[in-house]
Amino acid sequence: MLILFRFSGICLLRTIHLCLPDAGGVVLRDKNFRKIVESINMLHQNLEWFFPHTPEEAVKLIAAQGVILHGGGTRILKTSPKSIKGLVDVGKLNLNYIHHSDKQISIGAASTYDDVIRYSTKTKKLSLLAQALSEAASTPLRNRITIGGSLKDFPIWSSLYAPLLALNAQIEIADKHDKVISLEEYLESGMIKTKHLIKRIIIDDDPHLVGGVKRFALIRFEYPLFTVAVALRAKKKIISEARIYITGVKGRHKHCKRAEHFLIEKELTNDVIHEAVKHFNPKFAADYKYSAEYKEHTSKVFFTDLLQDLKGKL
Amino acid sequence: MKLEFKINNTSKALELLPNETLLNVLRNNDFTEVKCGCNEGECGSCTVLLDGKPVNSCQVLAMSVQEKEITTVKGIGTLYTPHLLQKTFVEAGADQCGFCSPGMVLASYSLLKENPKPTREEILVALDGNLCRCTGYVKIVDAVENTAKKLHSNNLVME
Amino acid sequence: MFKYVNQPVEKIDGLALVTGEEKYTDDFSFNNMLYVSVLHSGYAYAKILDIDDSEARKMHGVVEILSYKNVNQILYTTAGQGYPEPSPYDTLLFGNTMRFVGDNVCAVAAETKEIADEAIKKIKVTYKELKPILNLEKSEGSPIIIHKDDGAFPKIPVFYDAKKNIASKVEANVGDFDKAFKKSSKKIEFDFYCSYGAHCAIEPHASVSYLDLRGRLVIISTTQVPFHVRRIVSHVAEIPVSKIRVIKPRLGGGFGGKQEILLEPIVALMTWRTKRPAKLVYSRREVFKSTRCRHEYKTKLEVGYEADGTINALHLDALENAGGYGSHALTVLANAGSKTLPLLNKIENLRFTGMGVYTNLPVGGAYRGYGATEAYPGYAQAIDMVCEDCGLDVVEYYKKWCIKSGETSAIFQALGEGKEGVAMNIGSTSLVECLDEGAKLSDWYAKRKLYGPDSDYNKGKRLKRGIGMVAMMQGSAIPEIDMASAYIKMNDDGSFNLNVGATDLGTGSDTVLAQIASEVLDTPVESFIVYSSDTDFTPFDTGAYASSTTYLSGQAVRKCAEEIKKQILKVGAEMLSLSLDEVELDDSRVVAKGKKKEEVSYAEICQYSMYQKNQFQIQATASHISPKSPPPFAVHFIEIEVDTFTGIIKVLNYTATVDCGTPINPVTSEGQVEGAIVNGLSYALFENYYFSPHGKMLNDTFGKFGVYTAFDVPPIKVKLIKSYEETGPYGAKSISEININGALPAIANAFYNATGKRLHNGPFAPESILKVLSEK
Ligand SMILES: Cc1cc2nc3c(=O)[nH]c(=O)nc-3n(C[C@H](O)[C@H](O)[C@H](O)COP(=O)(O)OP(=O)(O)OC[C@H]3O[C@@H](n4cnc5c(N)ncnc54)[C@H](O)[C@@H]3O)c2cc1C
Ligand code: FES
Ligand code: FES
Repeated sequence: MLILFRFSGICLLRTIHLCLPDAGGVVLRDKNFRKIVESINMLHQNLEWFFPHTPEEAVKLIAAQGVILHGGGTRILKTSPKSIKGLVDVGKLNLNYIHHSDKQISIGAASTYDDVIRYSTKTKKLSLLAQALSEAASTPLRNRITIGGSLKDFPIWSSLYAPLLALNAQIEIADKHDKVISLEEYLESGMIKTKHLIKRIIIDDDPHLVGGVKRFALIRFEYPLFTVAVALRAKKKIISEARIYITGVKGRHKHCKRAEHFLIEKELTNDVIHEAVKHFNPKFAADYKYSAEYKEHTSKVFFTDLLQDLKGKL
Repeated sequence: MKLEFKINNTSKALELLPNETLLNVLRNNDFTEVKCGCNEGECGSCTVLLDGKPVNSCQVLAMSVQEKEITTVKGIGTLYTPHLLQKTFVEAGADQCGFCSPGMVLASYSLLKENPKPTREEILVALDGNLCRCTGYVKIVDAVENTAKKLHSNNLVME
Repeated sequence: MFKYVNQPVEKIDGLALVTGEEKYTDDFSFNNMLYVSVLHSGYAYAKILDIDDSEARKMHGVVEILSYKNVNQILYTTAGQGYPEPSPYDTLLFGNTMRFVGDNVCAVAAETKEIADEAIKKIKVTYKELKPILNLEKSEGSPIIIHKDDGAFPKIPVFYDAKKNIASKVEANVGDFDKAFKKSSKKIEFDFYCSYGAHCAIEPHASVSYLDLRGRLVIISTTQVPFHVRRIVSHVAEIPVSKIRVIKPRLGGGFGGKQEILLEPIVALMTWRTKRPAKLVYSRREVFKSTRCRHEYKTKLEVGYEADGTINALHLDALENAGGYGSHALTVLANAGSKTLPLLNKIENLRFTGMGVYTNLPVGGAYRGYGATEAYPGYAQAIDMVCEDCGLDVVEYYKKWCIKSGETSAIFQALGEGKEGVAMNIGSTSLVECLDEGAKLSDWYAKRKLYGPDSDYNKGKRLKRGIGMVAMMQGSAIPEIDMASAYIKMNDDGSFNLNVGATDLGTGSDTVLAQIASEVLDTPVESFIVYSSDTDFTPFDTGAYASSTTYLSGQAVRKCAEEIKKQILKVGAEMLSLSLDEVELDDSRVVAKGKKKEEVSYAEICQYSMYQKNQFQIQATASHISPKSPPPFAVHFIEIEVDTFTGIIKVLNYTATVDCGTPINPVTSEGQVEGAIVNGLSYALFENYYFSPHGKMLNDTFGKFGVYTAFDVPPIKVKLIKSYEETGPYGAKSISEININGALPAIANAFYNATGKRLHNGPFAPESILKVLSEK
């Protein structure tokens, strides 16, 4: 068989290849190989791409079986793309924005984690959310991961959900009709499992809200074990509203209502914090690295730490 | 199929399949300076810049970035016209096996371009998606700091 | 004192690396190339009853399938070691017994990677599952035998008992341990467990092969040992050595993980059979599961001592989990003793016992540190315990008891690699200075006093601080076994080709070797065109392992350059009509001694010798073996903070003082220290293999395994403290491995300083730390 070698580019091996019986080259890919793939066409379902300009178009497109939305694509690439027949890119839907109006902040679903962090640095708003997102994944991933894809996907290591739930965020969805519902309802109603387009997230811009978020990860670039977020409102140091959520638990997220109730009308003293923790009882599943008990234990430690941090801020 | 992409300031028609990652497309089209260490978004050796921002090209479907500017490490400086940052990497000993270097250089480049006087903390955050098993990062961070200093003391802007 | 050596010369491949110009194995592709995928076993222990590949063979684009059915059953070891290898011949490229999850079942070569992957899925394998051994302590003498009737045998005359699952056994005695231990007034006994570890070189394993225009097989591969690859591929694939050429292009890190012959025979066979180029690149998951890792270890220490701190007797016992195959099982084990026990050479009664056992878990191999990493946590904690008990400062203790220049340890002779060791006296050492300087840099005395479990600083606090330290030694090359060689020739313009078999893994050895040649020939590093690691064009070198390259290959280069120097002087003298003793080298010229006016340049000399008179090529080759393995020394100090609520240990400061003789290149030397320290830290704090109940590794990605980013690295201070090793090139010893060993023991000692509790299990992950803290 005749093998063709051609020399291409500069490379370290230049020196040796010049002094050799095979006198030639390196690096040339068989340009036929794609033809083989395409002609067999059994390995690659014909994946079609759509780049609609309006949400309506997008919603119509995803009505077809096997056609789904494409945000950053980071999750789509992890799960098997075999059943996917079409991808509808959200890039041209004008959903890449963060607005501030009527004491509300809207984050378009095509915004990336990085967009949110930058907005927060610039405006000093959304600091709770930005803090959580700035610890998510890694710099290059934060430049790709979208809010929409992360809401729809909700991985167990999500950095997004706990702070958004604590902030009582609302979500705007385009299905047959547009609707705005609370993020909590979005999860509880099972809506998250249906096919739809997420357009934006809406968060109250409330300067009196103080909050904190903490994730468990030993090193910077690691899938966090759990994320706990607390948001409090107080009048003269007396707590009037509390929202406490944790993700990474059994059932993915937990609204810690008992701890919230306990905190209402109390002042955050060491004793109160000590008592509050007793009402904070998330349930975890063991995994190969950590036992459920350990996770429960550390989540309580983190919750206490968060309340301690907030003590001075109320 | 063939599609036009904007890479390193030139327009280039690249062979690709619709479900291919940008990493595969680039490597299959001889942009072998983009490395593959994991293919799962977890090492950063496949880093390229998309409109100036670093991304993991293994986590990007190529079809979704046709209209964006793609920059590989050769786009900021070559062996014949190395960038100050690249020269400083070598000077500082930030290159051991060099497998992480294209990604590290791009991540640092993007940082310095936007923030020519980063704090140490900002450098560490900017490099948090790029693994290096050889250097222990000490000299890599030094290289970024030294470049910033050189920019500052010579009144240069990052290009 | 030196001009080119001990200078921070930039890496000669540096710019090409940081501009992405350099090529690594996967960057080579050839026309008509086949893509190979390997099917790995999902069972820890199973017999393959049948492989039905008919469906796969019917697929378009499938070209060849290799399995036990059509590959000759030739036993070998995947360990890339010298010949005859000290590792047992117990592995088949494709056999019909699967001994760990990740073992090779079969391989497919196809027109595209996608087709190869798809074909793999269509291969029907009928397994008979066998009950596996998944615990290293349950292996020896188990009724389950892992290498049963497969003919596995040791290639060298050493103890080997496959019927009892024993892959290796080592014993060494100095003095009479039993007697001295019994007589001691104080005794300590404890164990230390070291987890599996993964190299995590960022470049995955890859091999590409093709036939050259005369039908010879060329293999481009991610290897630390090109010459061993050639020899072992020849054996396994039954292709004559003369028909194989192995090239290592740039390598994306090795750390021992690429000292193993795994992918090369597969692509070799594919190319040999199909006459087409073939490429195999492992996915990250395959690298984790199917290649080699750090052996799991359980060490036991018994120490007998007196109230004044005198240690009468010390016994280190090591139980090593070889995994499914015995790659490096013997030598890593021997090094666990030989790289620790000589350190405190004044202990009169020493005993080392070690056993490597087969299990159905991943296969251990070479990994930076090579046994020393596994042995130091126990050894150094024992020393710390003795000092704590006797109220002695451990730094002062090491200063008093450690091995000094001119001294020896009987262990050097007692423990070799598969045979007796080599007796030697320590030549160079700056260990005592390293201890002093490290104590100063880390503020040891003040902090050790400030902290402590019952100190005001720590008492009743959630966050407790402690400081700990360890002193260590390693080796430089394997004495009287490793050989390196070099070739130099001169070119018309006074430049030189320097061809070395040595393998630059990213360590910078190409640069360091050029610096050594520069120093001899008094000509700039840029005058050297360095070409390395190509079995056709570079002379033999055992390869990059055992911390040998600078010390051993460097000395070969130096000898070779000395030879060239003689030839240059001779021609120069002839040209200047002077006698040999009237001339000398000076800055790329031969000059008349004293008055430097009369001179000829290197270019003139080479042109003269090539074209004008008494023509000959100025060229030389030299080989080197070492009569000894001079240890580098290092002292590490680590300051930690323990969160007693979560069990999380935070490293606050890391200080390392290192004696590598003369650092040929201070920058790359420091880089070796920093890289090893960070790798050691993550191994100490969380890196581990987590297995399913069936022996399958579960955390097989970087994200799940966990690798430090720049963000996670604590402040590190490194100081190189010179000594001069007479047997090394310009006084150099090794540096690459030793510094990975410090984190486990120094953190463990710091933990005691903070909490008063001892750690017995690595890694020091938070949940296990919390457990230790809650123990009464
Ligand atoms: C290595 C790694 C580490 C990570 N670590 C973290 C972490 O620490 N914290 C964290 O929060 N995340 C993390 N992530 C991100 C997370 O796992 C998901 O990959 C990410 O949230 C998905 O976002 P995307 O924009 O890429 O979504 P895509 O992959 O594009 O889509 C995900 C799903 O959402 C759908 N979808 C996309 N856009 C919309 C929309 N506008 N409306 C409705 N449906 C839509 C898609 O059809 C798909 O089903 C990590 C990812 C990686 C690869
Ligand atoms: S190859 Fe893309 S992040 Fe590792
Ligand atoms: S230099 Fe080798 S991985 Fe960074």
